[in-house]
Amino acid sequence: MTRNRWNNPFQGIQSQLSRRQLIENTALGVGALAVGSLGLPRAARAANEVNFWATGTLDIGDDGWEIFMNESGVKVDFTDNGNDPGPVIAKLAAGNANDIYDVGGLQGGSEKELAKRGLISPWDLSQIPNYTSLWQWAKDIPYLTYEGKVYGIPTVINADSIIALREKAGNVDSYGVVFDPKLKGKTAMEDAWINSVTFTAIYLKNAENTKIAEPGNLTADELGLVMEFLIKHKKDGQFRTFWNGWEQGLQLVVNREVWVMTGWEPIVYAARDRGVDCYYAVPQEGYEAWGNNAILLKGAVNRGLSKMAHQFVNALLAGFYGCKLGTRRGYLVPTDNNVAYATAHSAAFDRAKVKELGEHVKAKFSSKVYWQNTRPDNFQLYEQWWQRLRNA
Amino acid sequence: MTDDKVAGLPAANAFFLALPSLVVFVLMGFTPLVLIATWSFWSFDPDTYWIKPVWSLTSYVALLQDGRASVLLRTAGLAGLTAAASTLLAVPAATVVGLLSGRRRAALLVALFTIPFFTSGLVRAFAWRLVLGREGIINNVLISLGVADTPVEWLLFSDFAVVLGMVAAYLPFAIIPIVLLFARIDQSVIRASQDLGAGFWMMFSTIVLPLIMPGIIAGFLFVFVVAVGTSMEIQLLGGAGASSTSIMINDVMRVVNFPLAFAIATVVVISLIALVIIANGMLKLSRLFEELGT
Repeated sequence: MTRNRWNNPFQGIQSQLSRRQLIENTALGVGALAVGSLGLPRAARAANEVNFWATGTLDIGDDGWEIFMNESGVKVDFTDNGNDPGPVIAKLAAGNANDIYDVGGLQGGSEKELAKRGLISPWDLSQIPNYTSLWQWAKDIPYLTYEGKVYGIPTVINADSIIALREKAGNVDSYGVVFDPKLKGKTAMEDAWINSVTFTAIYLKNAENTKIAEPGNLTADELGLVMEFLIKHKKDGQFRTFWNGWEQGLQLVVNREVWVMTGWEPIVYAARDRGVDCYYAVPQEGYEAWGNNAILLKGAVNRGLSKMAHQFVNALLAGFYGCKLGTRRGYLVPTDNNVAYATAHSAAFDRAKVKELGEHVKAKFSSKVYWQNTRPDNFQLYEQWWQRLRNA
Repeated sequence: MTDDKVAGLPAANAFFLALPSLVVFVLMGFTPLVLIATWSFWSFDPDTYWIKPVWSLTSYVALLQDGRASVLLRTAGLAGLTAAASTLLAVPAATVVGLLSGRRRAALLVALFTIPFFTSGLVRAFAWRLVLGREGIINNVLISLGVADTPVEWLLFSDFAVVLGMVAAYLPFAIIPIVLLFARIDQSVIRASQDLGAGFWMMFSTIVLPLIMPGIIAGFLFVFVVAVGTSMEIQLLGGAGASSTSIMINDVMRVVNFPLAFAIATVVVISLIALVIIANGMLKLSRLFEELGT
């Protein structure tokens, strides 16, 4: 799982199923153990209802969605997709996700693959007036478009680096500390190639001048170099562990199991709340940026819900959602509409805090950033190398 | 039992009684396994991100590459260690319950052994991190007693931690079958051995142990099978990037390599079925269903 931070088979039976349909439907019954829970088709729903299938991070809770509906006219049925891009893509490609959900929210990088296979549809920007309010660099995320059309709308954006214990690690300003032999057995990375390979590639590219074009999308040769580097350090006992999920990451820091690790900024805040003197480093090699983007599922278009889906995404960028999400999770919707909304609704939101969150993320993006990519071109090769790393 | 009667029921009635279970087994157990085994020989289709019926051994070849085979062996090794340790602990525990306790105390002890199941496996495994960690209870005690100067690092994020976590979690699976066999031992056999002058150890080793052996083997197999399928303890307590068959299947599913995931599952399931068949053939697990000591 890459960013779980906080923490049908019974569709209308057709008289003549094609072999593929038969396989898919059977697979849904059979593959439940492997792919995870499948969900069933929803009962009849309201005309203004949108089924939003996204990372749990994007949920603003029942109270939030109620206000959202009052302001936008869109009733939202939120379902956590687990955030692991693999199963999400599997359910879109071979499962029934398109029969159930209308809009997806997924870590960026998979848009091109999903668009290529006709599993998602392009957004019609003329139906999303608030799109113009998005910060330009958010619009410029490289994998949002395919063949000139926009398939991903940036909903949440941030940039990750290194968490360090001040008393143990001193001043950290480089990923090199994660691989420093002096901290052997006191460092950790995430148990996910999406993040850890990218971080290592950023380090090698900038600190050791390794020839790497795009850390988020390594060629086979580049990937080999990066993975050999990781394997060597793993064999040397450099890493205490590879961590998974919010609780594990937080526990490592709070219990001082590791002194430095690549990780998520909210862990720093939570650890500080528990009395741990830690901080989020500003790495000279640059941040690993990530976006969680809204995608329009093909099924919604087929069901005539495209207009409602656009209305929904437009409302995500209108200000209330950004304020609510920032307050609830500390995550940022990259638009100035948040501050405008907080200014107009000062009883509900602290304008200064909303502004501060925006400025904080903007400051990160004013330095060097490399985009995380959940579906690099050689994604299956990444998995093969990750197995070798596991076994090293 | 006659040819046309099963436990006093006419065979036809017995068949209908078993029919719902049979249907469930075939539909939800056997059929998926056959399909998964079949699809493991199909090919990944990059155009659809799904599989296509082009027969291939690619997945089984891939199973031998990138260290995947060693993950299978390592998983089996850890599960075997866990099952062996659990069995060693289960025999004396079950003996206390089955042989040395009255009914009320036995019931109480059995209830105590099931306590680990009252909470989620995730919480159980996570709790071990707080016990075994650098600033955990054990290291604090060792340091305060002067046994160690610095925290013992291998207590956590090691195979030791994984096996400990799995034994603690799955020990009841080893205890219960033995306790059940104790309950079925004819007490007159034990009394007879005592009347003939056998001490406890003589009676235990020559009479009780052979009688509970099917339970010991069954318990070992239960723990082994569960431990082969788990990933929680390995992910939470194992070293950096520690793997198991379940973790490997997850990794493969993330990159939608369905045939390889199916191949791994097929190999595991077939291996486990073979293990049970062999154990039954060699050690007569069917004795679990026979009267004991008569």
